[in-house]
Amino acid sequence: MLKYAFRRILGMIPMLLLTSIIVFSLAKLMPGDSLSGEIDPRNTNPQYIAEMREKLGYNDPMPQQYFRWVSNFIEGDFGKSTRFKIEVADVIGERLPNTILLGLTSILITYLLAFMMGSYAGRKPYTLGDNLIGGINYLGLSIPSFVAGVFAIYFFSFKLGWFPSNGSVDIGVTEGTFNWWLSRLHHVLLPAFVLGFLNIASYTQFLRNDIIENSRKDYVRTARAKGTPESKIYNVHILRNSVIPLITYLGFDIVAIISGAIITETIFTYPGLGQLFLQSVGVRDYPVLLTLTMMFSFLTLFGNLIADILYGVVDPRIRLD
Amino acid sequence: MKKRSMLMLAALMLVLSAFLAACSGGEKAGTKKNDNEGKTGETSEKPQDGGTLVYALDSAPEGKFNYAFYGNQTDQYVIDFFDENLIDYDAQLKAQPHIASWKTTDNKVFDFEIKKGVKWHNGDELSVKDWEFALKVIADKDYEGPRFDNVRNIVGAQDYHDGKAKEISGIKVIDDYHIQITFDKARVNNLDNLWTYPMNRTEFKGMAVKDMMGSEQVRTKPVGLGPFKVTKVVPGESIEMERFDDYFGGKPHIEKVVIKVIDPSLSVGELKNGTLDMTAFHPSIIDQVKALDNVNAITYPGVSYYYVGFRLGTWDGEKNVMNEPKYQDKKLREAMYYAINRDEWVKAFFFGVGKPVNRPIPTNHWIAADNKELDQYKYDPKKAKELLDEAGYKDVDGDGFREDPQGKKFVVNFSHYATQNPTFESRAKALTQYWEAVGLKTKLTMTDVNLYYDMLEKADKSVEVFFGGWSTGSDPDPTPLWGSKALWNYPRWVNADSDKLLDQALDINVVGTDSNKRKDLYVQWQKLFMKDLPVLPIAELEETMAVSKRVNGVKFDVSGMNRPNEWWITQ
Repeated sequence: MLKYAFRRILGMIPMLLLTSIIVFSLAKLMPGDSLSGEIDPRNTNPQYIAEMREKLGYNDPMPQQYFRWVSNFIEGDFGKSTRFKIEVADVIGERLPNTILLGLTSILITYLLAFMMGSYAGRKPYTLGDNLIGGINYLGLSIPSFVAGVFAIYFFSFKLGWFPSNGSVDIGVTEGTFNWWLSRLHHVLLPAFVLGFLNIASYTQFLRNDIIENSRKDYVRTARAKGTPESKIYNVHILRNSVIPLITYLGFDIVAIISGAIITETIFTYPGLGQLFLQSVGVRDYPVLLTLTMMFSFLTLFGNLIADILYGVVDPRIRLD
Repeated sequence: MKKRSMLMLAALMLVLSAFLAACSGGEKAGTKKNDNEGKTGETSEKPQDGGTLVYALDSAPEGKFNYAFYGNQTDQYVIDFFDENLIDYDAQLKAQPHIASWKTTDNKVFDFEIKKGVKWHNGDELSVKDWEFALKVIADKDYEGPRFDNVRNIVGAQDYHDGKAKEISGIKVIDDYHIQITFDKARVNNLDNLWTYPMNRTEFKGMAVKDMMGSEQVRTKPVGLGPFKVTKVVPGESIEMERFDDYFGGKPHIEKVVIKVIDPSLSVGELKNGTLDMTAFHPSIIDQVKALDNVNAITYPGVSYYYVGFRLGTWDGEKNVMNEPKYQDKKLREAMYYAINRDEWVKAFFFGVGKPVNRPIPTNHWIAADNKELDQYKYDPKKAKELLDEAGYKDVDGDGFREDPQGKKFVVNFSHYATQNPTFESRAKALTQYWEAVGLKTKLTMTDVNLYYDMLEKADKSVEVFFGGWSTGSDPDPTPLWGSKALWNYPRWVNADSDKLLDQALDINVVGTDSNKRKDLYVQWQKLFMKDLPVLPIAELEETMAVSKRVNGVKFDVSGMNRPNEWWITQ
């Protein structure tokens, strides 16, 4: 398995290199650069813009710009954000905790609810409860997150006033205190739920169908024949087999945690990486944009690897060599 | 992977904006005329102390919270709460003494005096050395902000910038309250262009200029002179400020200010709930804001205007050359102006907060010529047709559209910039319909906004007739926009008389310090501009602001809002 993982990691290097070429050329193909756009004739003079373009190296030939970027990138120098004028690592560092908190909470909510609903529906298929859960799930699957987000804000923030509609924390509370964490949790719950909405639905259905399928298998019949209590059959025998497909999803979820939720974060004005990504595209903040895309690409590859390895761990029948 | 996500993103944004519009429409319908809260605030006249003001920004600030370094307007909104300009601008955008007052006899050497006892938030007393410090930071070779133009004209600033001198020779500090600044030559707008924002020199002591922009003194712990002091910054999200009791303009009434970033689609709901007190908003939602009982939707004169330009030439790298024949015929341009029903168009697409404009200067600026003195070009399709006939643009092949004087097909290629704003395409389409109504075949191209300005800057051949807009500042001089050597002169208009008038208006030997004489020259220039019509001024836009009824004492004019220390909240 170690050998397998090592081989996969080595294989990532050319893939990442190719990705970087594509990402870089696509970014540069976007019309305009970080200096065009909002021109204020009062205090922007053409000379200044020309000077800055020269300073930032936008006038150099493309391959030269690419190699400069890549070599700096490999050395861990991601450059300075053209928008914030601070190191890209700092810009990302400011927002990463928010995104991770959002991602983790959303996954927690997803798994918790999916588990509860899935095992109930799987145990009592084709009953009223199962159909109700199925109905909610299909609703969840069919509502895109940005629609769900707007509705959630409308009902839970504006009508009921349960959750704040924007931000990641209340500015009035002192950082690090219990109240501060409570406030962060309060802010993150609604976007996390919206983010998890779609996943809850698919995970629930996965689990339900798997439980139903397993409950018809021979080993279950044998267990019943031996007189094993029904609850033990479901909670131990079937569940252990049914969670296998779900666990493998964890690998992909890792990517989802970091890459954030572009739409959800924007709607909730939640300062995370997704929102940062969107804004960076808008103002052509190449250093931030490129670093984020590379980060997401790497995590996608990495998440795939984790998923593959997890397959082997939870299901001994699958061998990785 | 990236490309796909971008495409998806674009698609999602489209659907999102449509949905948001629909949803907020529903919200408005749900707004019943409930009880008249906020009325009490209007009746009691005496300002009350205390309270927290929540102010919203529509996008995340970049965090460059210092006048010398900020880059966009969002940051400026924040800085305005906690820092101060040394001079002030009145409702006609004329400079007025504020912290600093000045004397000059020749508009070359200025003697400034600042008020005594003005305090920084950290307890230091303001000295002209703080101002000198700011000027030197901006003139430094490592300074990366865009403000060097506001310092360049001081004697010796260029040498300091190039590293040839240790000091800026044109700046002479006399004592803590007096400073003399000498410009390289006498200009009427030297003061308008001068950088008049001090920086606290003890806060930045010992820091290299290139590190300043990213320092915590700029980003998270800024120190200013303004009515509120920053107590906490959550980057990209919110800023908390508290009252600064020693503010030189008088102790503020409001206890605390919280500035938050709120997505524009949420601002109506937040205003309605009373969780937001003040925000600038996009004119397209003005009806929803007006429908709220607890909020006043305020419009005040702005300094921006929109125009339709004709590319008359190219940019040769240094100056404009007028060599593009297609639109050189003035009668064609006039006809296209007469063909536009600006009243109707502005009403339809500017949500009642704009009005037609007749000159390339906003109406509220002190140099703006009176409408009586200018050609009005009122909507007159008949006259437009006559002019086109006269100029030889006639329909010779009977397809319903005019051909050019040589009898060749004539198509107006009109470009408009495209953003996520769905009204842009329809307003551009409306203009093309006006022209088609007088027999000019028109083709509309919508171009992504970044690419659009890139193309205009390079005088790209494919842009022939274009929609544009400018926001002007307090300096009245139109040279950077319409001078023959100006890069921003997108129509590439070259006119010797115009250059001469613009130069004269800045020439101290011609106008002296007499602002009436100066205005006169600018009026002449505007007349010339409107006679020659390199662009068709279309409309000017008012600024829009939502202010909760519990907030009192906020006043607006073309220079912006009054200082927040005069505001107060009904308790």
